[in-house]
Amino acid sequence: MTTISAPFAYVDTTWPVLERMAEAHRRSWEMLAALGEWWTGAERISIAAESRRASALVDGLPDPGPGPAELPEAATFAVHKLIADLPNVTKDWYDEVTTADGMTDAHYIELLGVVVNVWSVDEFHRALSLPLEPLPDPIAGTPGGIRPSGAKPHGSWPPTVWPDDLDERDLDIYDGEERAANVRAAMSLHPDSVRWLGDLFDAHYLSWIEIGGEQEPFRVLTRPQRELVAARVSALNECFY
Amino acid sequence: MLLGRSSEGDDSVNLNGTVRNEVDSGVEHGEVLLRYSDAAVGRTANLAEAREVVNTAMGPDAVVDCAATIANFQRMVRIADGCGIPLDSISRRESEKWREGLQIDGFRSRLNTFA
Repeated sequence: MTTISAPFAYVDTTWPVLERMAEAHRRSWEMLAALGEWWTGAERISIAAESRRASALVDGLPDPGPGPAELPEAATFAVHKLIADLPNVTKDWYDEVTTADGMTDAHYIELLGVVVNVWSVDEFHRALSLPLEPLPDPIAGTPGGIRPSGAKPHGSWPPTVWPDDLDERDLDIYDGEERAANVRAAMSLHPDSVRWLGDLFDAHYLSWIEIGGEQEPFRVLTRPQRELVAARVSALNECFY
Repeated sequence: MLLGRSSEGDDSVNLNGTVRNEVDSGVEHGEVLLRYSDAAVGRTANLAEAREVVNTAMGPDAVVDCAATIANFQRMVRIADGCGIPLDSISRRESEKWREGLQIDGFRSRLNTFA
């Protein structure tokens, strides 16, 4: 009899992966498979698959193959650029991608959300030399294509939605805060990407309790240790921000 | 710039240690955490060795916590640079005193943030 483990069960590793991390990773795969606002579930899986192809290319590993749906050429190009050539992402490049066939600024932000969140879960596995979790089966359906009505230019390349301009259905995305952190607001053209980001941020790095100054009891690294690592990772990626 | 802003007023942290290996960051176990970060992000052949050094010095829970932090910032940098997030005027002004030491003004992505 073959036993099939649940996703992200972490039963074959000696590393003590916290259940709250495993749960966040399982929720990530549910969000990945879900119908998007601008991409179908199958297209979202293809975006994730393309991010793994980009990573494999950089690492000199065999091509893991494409996902179930064909993507616009600009979308494929964007995934590879975001994974493998981040220091050379520019405003001109952003403008080119978001005006290409099959793309808009909202398509780009949802694509970015899929790329960075899947990449982050995969990077956690790579750092522990764990096998990557198979990508989930997509949920069928047609994207709604609803753009947040309060999206305005606020300095980032894509328009963003500030807390006072949130639509009723998106009031939760900043957890009721009166001001949104720039990184969260940057993804607000696709509110589900903000929710996804917040969930993984809490599981991987810093909970809202810790932002207030207290350390969660399950955390092992101190805040300075975590931020030292954060700064190093940012520097290695030549990220000025 | 995250560490710079959060560590202001904390004399125990040497910001230059985040980007220069020859400088002690002042953070406990900082050297082994940075070595593991370098190996994970840089895909170097010594990943297992660097990870084991953290395991020996700090234990397996610390390895997992460090891996999660690395994973988080592999995500955050792509959002920041993928969206051209601007640096607010206060951070821009206050960071001037330590940016030179960190040698980050030479990063091409500065153009995105200061645009």
